[in-house]
Amino acid sequence: MATIEADGLAKSYGSVDALAEMSLSVSRGELFGFLGPNGAGKTTTIRILTGQVSPDRGEARVLGTDPTATPLETRRRIGIVPEQQRPPSFLTPREFIAFVGEVRSLEPEAVAERTEVWADRLGFRSKLDTLHAELSRGQQQKVMITQAFVHEPEVVFIDEPVANLDPLVQEQVKRLLVAYAAAGNTVFVSTHNIDVAEDICTRVGIVADGSLIAECDLETMDEPLLETFLRHVDGASPRDVPNPTTR
Amino acid sequence: MTGTSTRALVRILFLEEWRLHTELFGGRRFVAFPAVIAALVAVCGIGLVRTGTDPDAVVFGVSTLVFAFGLYSGTAGFVGDDMLENALGEVSLLLGSSAMLPLSERRLLTVFLVKDALYYCLLFVLPIAAGVSVLAGGPLEWASALGYHWLLLSLLFVAGMALTVAAITARTRGVSGRTLAGVVVLGVGTLWVGGFLGDLSGLVAAATGSVGGSLVLALASCGLAALSLRWYDPTDSRPTTTAADRFTGLNRRLSTVGPESGLVTKTLLELGRSSGGYWKPVVSASILFALVTFLVGVVRDVTGVEPAPGIFFGGVLGLSAFTTYNWVTQFDSVEEYLTYPIDVATLFRAKAVAFVVVNTPAVAVPYAGAVLWFGASGLDAAVGAVVLAGYSLYYYGLTVYLAGFDPNEFLFDGVRFSLFTAGVALVLVPTLVSGFVAVSPSPTLALALCLSSVLVGGVGVALLSRAGTRWREIYHQG
Repeated sequence: MATIEADGLAKSYGSVDALAEMSLSVSRGELFGFLGPNGAGKTTTIRILTGQVSPDRGEARVLGTDPTATPLETRRRIGIVPEQQRPPSFLTPREFIAFVGEVRSLEPEAVAERTEVWADRLGFRSKLDTLHAELSRGQQQKVMITQAFVHEPEVVFIDEPVANLDPLVQEQVKRLLVAYAAAGNTVFVSTHNIDVAEDICTRVGIVADGSLIAECDLETMDEPLLETFLRHVDGASPRDVPNPTTR
Repeated sequence: MTGTSTRALVRILFLEEWRLHTELFGGRRFVAFPAVIAALVAVCGIGLVRTGTDPDAVVFGVSTLVFAFGLYSGTAGFVGDDMLENALGEVSLLLGSSAMLPLSERRLLTVFLVKDALYYCLLFVLPIAAGVSVLAGGPLEWASALGYHWLLLSLLFVAGMALTVAAITARTRGVSGRTLAGVVVLGVGTLWVGGFLGDLSGLVAAATGSVGGSLVLALASCGLAALSLRWYDPTDSRPTTTAADRFTGLNRRLSTVGPESGLVTKTLLELGRSSGGYWKPVVSASILFALVTFLVGVVRDVTGVEPAPGIFFGGVLGLSAFTTYNWVTQFDSVEEYLTYPIDVATLFRAKAVAFVVVNTPAVAVPYAGAVLWFGASGLDAAVGAVVLAGYSLYYYGLTVYLAGFDPNEFLFDGVRFSLFTAGVALVLVPTLVSGFVAVSPSPTLALALCLSSVLVGGVGVALLSRAGTRWREIYHQG
């Protein structure tokens, strides 16, 4: 059963066409990798599917809700780890997650408990009472991952899940996402990191120039994802490595 | 030393600043901004002179504004600096690239400040000089006055920048904010004791009215800036700050506000914990208060009439709505909230509640001081309080409707800035005129002003509620 559906989404910002014809479908229990180069339309697709911006054309459904017509209903039921850097917040992680719990109408006691669990899981317990503005980018990313899961949503959208994280935490986050999807939820991961996609995703959609140009089932694929990606995106071979000494 | 010439650096930074503004506001709207500024200054100047104000007093008023803008602009070079980010929020510019480029932070900072001085002397000071020079008379007089005023105002702008740079340098060298505030108080006290405070315009004229005075001011400003940049410590940073959970308790106490209590709590905590905390809106309101006090003095000296202080201060202090709204939106962004089940209208309502909580004491104290200092009658003080409340709501609603979540940015958008100015003038000018005409307001005038304030406040609330729909649409378009 599809939890995320997009049909013919198109979006332009002024004279720039961000999405041309984006169609995709993701089912419950999938860890879907949305793979593409910078500027391919990944973030715009996520912003439409999560009701942050409306498309010029096309339709989207997430957990049976219409993110364009009822964005609040959609966002109530999903979790989002956005790509963009935040302005400095002078709340501590503990307070920030309590704030997220408040806007999601969760019981404060339950939020406090889950905050402790996630802080232990991602290793930022010692930073729970440090002002968010003073945390490193990696620590901030851990807090953002926590806030996306604090209400235990059925669908989570994550833009670059392991950016800024140290290798150990990267592994923990990857395992966590795999387990979360395996428990019957849907995880939608947008990335341009082929290794991450290959490592954790059950299925990958390759996006370029605002359209989904290929889909690969990683469990049945018989060639490395990098080969497939480059064949579809620009026809180049991964062995065509540019020589850094050539002027 | 790197291969990049200083001239090339200035050019790149200049280009970045220009593109930042033209991208942000659209080329035409941004290019219209200097024309709007020039027209505004000219119209206000002519209006003041025709109603009996001395042209020199107008030039002095403009000089004060430009000096104040210089003080503010001096902070821009320090984006990325921990202390400034804690006070003003994060800004990302090429200036932050020193860590990645083979350029010393001090050199990049110096070039940045030179660029800023040139950029704003062209974009902001020149139009003001063009506007105020209209008071000189015909086209020939205007042309010769333009050069003089541009030089005078540019000197004051640079002096303001240099003072701010010096203050920030002192902070990076461990001088506390209280010590700096003490130095300011000492300086003002010295001017007062020396009898200069009553004749600040004379002081400015002495510093800028002759070649010698101008040279001294220019050399002093450049010298101060150079010394400050030499002593600036780019490695200075605050120790890591921790805080106990205050969100939960405060949010519980604010729960009567409604579903937006969490947003209100977040806003209040963030403002309170940033450098300067809740004093920032108070300082903004106090600057406005000082400006109005000065204007009242000028008008009294020139016309012999002292306006009704309650009505006058009530009308003008309401403009603090703009600066306070700026402070309560300084540490977050709409994009942040669009990832949660929060409607734009709810966000604006929450900011309105935070605004009322922060702005009420920030303007009430200077207002009370004004009515006591100027000896307002009971009726005038009461009417002024109603005007202050109603107009604050109106200015607030107007700002949110026109500027959305970015009140700072629309100042450089010619179209929106004109609309804001017209919206303010529409209610403020008749009020100020009535404050002059009826120095002691009659019961009829008092009633009319109270009713119009309630009406104007209602318009503000209506604008605020429409702002939610309007900006939801704009943000959803991306």
